[in-house]
This record gives sequence, structure tokens and C-alpha cells, in this order.
Amino acid sequence: MVQRKGPNVLSSNEILVAQDLRKSYGQRLALQGLTFTLHAGRVLGFLGPNGAGKTTSIRILTTMMKPDAGHFVVDGIKSKHAEQIRRKIGVLPENLGFPRQMTAFEYLLYFGQLYGQTAADTTAIALKLLNDVGLHQRRNSLIGSYSHGMKQRLGIARALINDPLVVFLDEPTLGLDPRGQQELLELIKNMSRERGAGVVLCSHMLSEIESVCDDVVILSAGQMVARGTVAEVIDRTQQNIVMRNGLRVQVPTTYLARAIQILRVIPSIMKVSPIGAMEGWLRLEIIEPGHGNAEVGYQINNGILSALIRAKIPILNFEVEGGRLQDVFMHLTEEAIT
Amino acid sequence: MSSEQKMMAGPGKRSNTVLPAWWLVFLKEVTELWIGGKALALVFIYTVFLGVVTFVIASNGELRLTPPKEMVYEAIKNVITVSLLIGLIISADSLSGERERNTLEALLLTSASRRQIIVGKFLAAITVWPVAFVIAMPTVKLLSQGDAIFGPGILWGAIVGTVLVLGYVGLGMLVSYWSNSNRTSYFVSMGIYTLILIPAQLPGEAQTGVMGQLLQWMNPLAAVNQFLLNILVHSFNFSEHIVWLEAPVAYAILILGILFMYAAPGLRLEEGRGSRLWIRFSRAIGLGMIVTAIFIIGTSPALALQTWTDPDQPVQISVNMEAKTVKASDSIFFDTVVTNTAAEPSPMILVAMNIINLEHEGEAIDPEDWSPERTQSIDSLAAGQSATLSWRVNAILDGEVLIYMVAIPQPEGQHVISHPIASRGIHLTVTPFTKLSPMGVLPVAMGGPLLLLLIIYFVSLSRNQNVDMGGSL
Repeated sequence: MVQRKGPNVLSSNEILVAQDLRKSYGQRLALQGLTFTLHAGRVLGFLGPNGAGKTTSIRILTTMMKPDAGHFVVDGIKSKHAEQIRRKIGVLPENLGFPRQMTAFEYLLYFGQLYGQTAADTTAIALKLLNDVGLHQRRNSLIGSYSHGMKQRLGIARALINDPLVVFLDEPTLGLDPRGQQELLELIKNMSRERGAGVVLCSHMLSEIESVCDDVVILSAGQMVARGTVAEVIDRTQQNIVMRNGLRVQVPTTYLARAIQILRVIPSIMKVSPIGAMEGWLRLEIIEPGHGNAEVGYQINNGILSALIRAKIPILNFEVEGGRLQDVFMHLTEEAIT
Repeated sequence: MSSEQKMMAGPGKRSNTVLPAWWLVFLKEVTELWIGGKALALVFIYTVFLGVVTFVIASNGELRLTPPKEMVYEAIKNVITVSLLIGLIISADSLSGERERNTLEALLLTSASRRQIIVGKFLAAITVWPVAFVIAMPTVKLLSQGDAIFGPGILWGAIVGTVLVLGYVGLGMLVSYWSNSNRTSYFVSMGIYTLILIPAQLPGEAQTGVMGQLLQWMNPLAAVNQFLLNILVHSFNFSEHIVWLEAPVAYAILILGILFMYAAPGLRLEEGRGSRLWIRFSRAIGLGMIVTAIFIIGTSPALALQTWTDPDQPVQISVNMEAKTVKASDSIFFDTVVTNTAAEPSPMILVAMNIINLEHEGEAIDPEDWSPERTQSIDSLAAGQSATLSWRVNAILDGEVLIYMVAIPQPEGQHVISHPIASRGIHLTVTPFTKLSPMGVLPVAMGGPLLLLLIIYFVSLSRNQNVDMGGSL
């Protein structure tokens, strides 16, 4: 990856600070006070159901739209200096179109020069980026002949052509096959790790946000309902979910009946039921899991595991319901809607 | 050598220079337009059209003995009119097309200024004009038949055409700026084009009087046509007729001012300012313009010419031919017999020839073009006396025409009326004149499109050698 110059540090290594951003379309409030900070070298996941305000947020932060209120700062540059900010950011918009009659190399050369680089400089950067995104062999092919995945990778290369400090990726894995998704996520990780860029990743794929992102912002109906590191957000929300739900455990199907028999006699378990669509999985509803006391909850979990182990039942999986970002997302967005 | 190889060949002067954004956008747009793009396709259609028009003008020229000045004027007028249409089609796609293809956002996300982006696109869109004009030069030269009108024709054609193209391309971009889809943009642009074009194509009779002249002066295309007519055909002094260029120049300045000063800095991902309201409004404008244009044509005074006769008179006139079929360029000969049926001598009698085109709602044909004698006279006829007059008519244009003669007894003094008397008509069917290459125009008329096809082929070939044409991985 191309090494770039260090950021003009705001405080510590903050490279993007958004403060109380608001936007409405007529009577509809699309964004109601978005506030967050992105640090250099970190990936921030932007989550939210359809119509939550993700696209509006990205449009505002990439200077494509003006907020009604609030402001943001990129590398010390205030949001009113849109042209200067655009020099510092790279964007892969959702549904980006490409000129069919250009080659990938020509495409990158064109955009690099539009950022004020010389042709010679852009050539070197473009070739390096094409290599990084795996398009070097096809650099002189017309973009019209590219597959969707290749276009997405070219779009990422274009987003990096100006050596940006902050990169916005809006649904980058949309329409890609599993291998393509995995490769792209690796690329994003490297982007933040090796280039030291801050990445804002918008996605519906919660698993990919969980695996790639360091921080997360969850939006729902224009409101920011959660913010922090992925672990913090899960931990903060988890306790509420645990209060209402329970545990999931997976055993070999041949041990399923025996496991149900063992678990049903444990006093802290209110109900044991197989999860229909998931082979070998059981859902356990816990009675009074600690009343918010995490320590009591942990002991109950250990007791259940001990009972299964003593009965020599192999445990394939064990997880606390609400311990995944998906659970947190469902809980928070549902709560905001209701 | 691919562009990458060119860049890697060595850091030349150009590769170490930061190029302005408008130039980069211009180069990219020009490449897209002219290599496999719509400009080449439109110019090809234009060359075919030009060939047909040239052939028609040359054919008419030979038949009607049209002076070279008129042919040059007609050719330049057509070149400008069609070039404006091509410029409008290209510019109407320039922004709304990028919105539709989702390619505008990437451009707006760069640090290039909005104004420079608009300038680059504008310059690319007007490249079609010099190309179209240069392509037209050989045909204009041919039609001028060595007349000195060629030089002034090219000069004034280039000047007024450029003024109009700047305005039209700017207009197309403005419409595109305010449109979210190409459909809306094309609809509005074509509506405006039609509204301006139709009055400019109306015959002169529709544009007489103060109001007619004013409307003609205000219509940029009609004003330019009138200017070219005055300068090239009537050989009037330029300084006396510069007034006809005021509106086109003002129109171009106004449009470009709005485009570059007002609209360009506010270029954004969404259309213009009013979104849905604008789309409905613009569609209404387009529809209104087309309806208005149709109304203008339908109510044109030029199409309402009528004739009037009163047959109840003491002088009779007859012709010795009823109907005949001839070929264009053939001559026919007939006699008229004028008889004084009154009991007293007649005054002097004028006999005038009239020709009506039956295929165009009785449109009058100027007999001067068709016959060496438009009128003849008879001094006086004694009571019951007859006189025979011989006539010759050259069939100039193909079609159905009616020739009739009118005898006009000279009024005997001031405030005394006279009643013209019309003869029975001669129904003449003129079949088309066929000549393969009038004025030797055919090689040029056909050569243009063929040459362009060759250029397209070699450009594509050259492009394909620079890129890898493999399928997707």
C-alpha cells in the first residue's frame, strides 16, 4: 500500500469529528443530531435499517449535501471548505457508475489528475493501486468488460487515488460473491492498517461490520441510537437483552434429546426449546438472570455448561443471546421504531 | 502505445505538469464523444443528411437556374440548423445523462471546481460544430460553382453559426442541469428547438409587418437566416444589417452568463433546484411549446393565399390545350385566343399567365421562373374581333400544376374598375427530372459519409489496439 503523509492531528489522532449534524426533507427529519469521532487507522461501521439516515449522513460528510445544522471537521478543515475537504477524502458511493469506454488505468489517471496530481505521479499511484486491488492484469481492459466485483475494486482504487485521510465506503460488498466479499474486507482492513486512513464503512451486512470495524455508529429513523467501539456497544446493550432472553447452545443431534433432559431439570432454566432452522441448537430461557448483576449471570452460564459436561454431552457452540452485533442492532433499531 | 505506456515512457513536459480540471474534463468528454460515442454517430447521420440536401439543392439549382448565391445560402442555413440540433442533443445529455448513469457523483467528489467541470463539458459539446462545418465546406464550394460568394459564405456562416451554437449548447446544458433524467432533458430541449425552428422556416409572407419583423428579429435562428439572406443573396452592406445579429448575440451572452456565473457553481448531484416541481414544469413548457408551434404553422398567413375572379364580362379568353403530361425541364407551347364579344371596341387588353401548384393547396408559382413571357398585351379589339397570343412554358418542378390565363381590360380612366376574366386551366402533370449527378455533386454527397465511415473504422481499430478486449474475469 502507498504510504501517505500523516494527518494534521485534531486531538490525539482524530481525523473526522462530526458534531450534531441535522438534516430534514420538508417535514421529515432525516438526521437528528449525528455526533461521532473517527480516529486514524480505525474502521467505523455505519449501521442502520433502510431510511435510517445513513446515505444522508454520508452525503453530508462527503460534501455532497449541506446539513441544516451542525458541522464537521476533517483533518482540521471545517465543513464550509468543501473543496479542501474533498482533497482529504475518498469515497466509494453506492451504485457508482463507470464509463464503459475507458480502461481502468485511464480511469484512475483521469481522477488522479482531477485531484491536481501530475500525470507522472498519478501513473505511479494508479499502477500501485491497481496492483493492490488485483486489477493489474486487466488494467488496459475497457471497464465495460468488467464484472461487478472488478468494478467495485476499481471503485475502491479510485477512492484511494488522492491518498485520502478518510475513506467512505457505502455498501462496498453489495452484489459480490462470498469470496469477493472476503477479499474486499481484507482490502479494507489493510487500507486502515497500512495506510493509516480512517474508514467509514456503511453496510447492511452486520457480520462484516463486526469482523472489520473497530467502532460502530447505529442509526435508526434519523437518530443515533448507539456509538462506541463494537465491544462497548455490544456490552452496553447486551445486559438489557440478556434480561429478556437467554442462551443458545449447540450439541450433536444424536445428543439433543439427552441434552434437553439434562437442561430441563436445572432450576434457573425456565424453558428449553430446539431452534427449528438450526440443526442441534437449543434455546434456553433463563429465570431471573441476575437482575442486572453480570456476576450472577456468568455463574448461571457456568452451571449450565458444567451440567452438560458432567453428562458427557459434547458442546459444539455456546453463546449468550445478545452477544452479537446483530442482536444489538435488532434490539436497538426495534426499540427506536417502537 | 497505450496511455500507460506513454506515461511510463518518460516524464515529459506534459506528464510533469498539473493540468487544469477543465482541460482534463474536456479531453475525457471529447474522447467519449468522438471515440465510439454519440458525436461520431450524429455527425455520420449529418453527413448523410448533408449529402441528400446538397443533391436536392443542386437538382433544384439546375432546374430553376438558382443563382449560386442562393444555393450557398440554403446550404449554410441547413448546415447551421442541423449542427444546432446535434449540439443540443449532446449538451442535453451532458449532466442529466451522468446523473442517470451514476457517474456524476465521482466527478463531483473530486476537488475540481464545479465551474471548471461545466467549462470542460461545454467545450467538448461544441466540438461538433467545427467538425460539421468543415465537413460541409466541400459541398458549399461545389454549390458556389466558382462564384466569389464562397468566401463570404464560409466566413459569415462560421461567425453566425458559432454564435448560435454557443447559445444552443449552453441552453442544452442548462436544461440538463435542471433535469434528473435524459428523457426530461431531451423533451424540453427539443421542444425549445422546435419552437425556435418552425417560425424560422416559415415563408416570408408570414413575417411581414412590424410585428412579423419584430418576431423574426427576436427569434435567433430566423434572425440569422435573415442576416445571411441579406448579406449573401441580396449582397447588402453588413453594417446596415448587423441589427439581425443583435438577438442571437444577446441570447448567447445571456445563456452563457446564466450557465457559467449562476448555475455552474451550484452544480450538484440532484437536478437544479426544484426537483419534481421543475420536472413537471419543464414538461409542461415542452408540451406548450410544441402545441404553440403547431398553432403557429396552422394559422400562418403565408398558407392562406387565395385567388378571386369574376367571369361575367364582355371579353372571352380561351386556350388550345386542356391537359398534358411532360417531364421536368420540357417546354410546352400553347395559344390563347382573346375575343371581344361586346358591341363596341375594347380597350387595351393585358393577358397574364398564372400558375398554381395543385399539390400544395394552390400555392402560386412565379411564372417568371417558368416562362419567358409572363404578360402580353393586345392594343384593342373591334366588336367581335379575336386575337391569338402564343405562349411557352418550361416545366421546372415536378408535380401537378394548373396554368390559367387572365385577360385584363385596361380601365378607361381613374376611379373606373376593370374585371379580369380567367381562361379554363391547363392541367399540367410534370414528371420528375432525373439526372444522376447534378452539378457533379454526387461524389461529394456520397463521399462525405463514406469517408467518415472509414475514419470511424480506423479510430476504432486504433483504439482496440490500445486496449485489452478480453472478457470479464
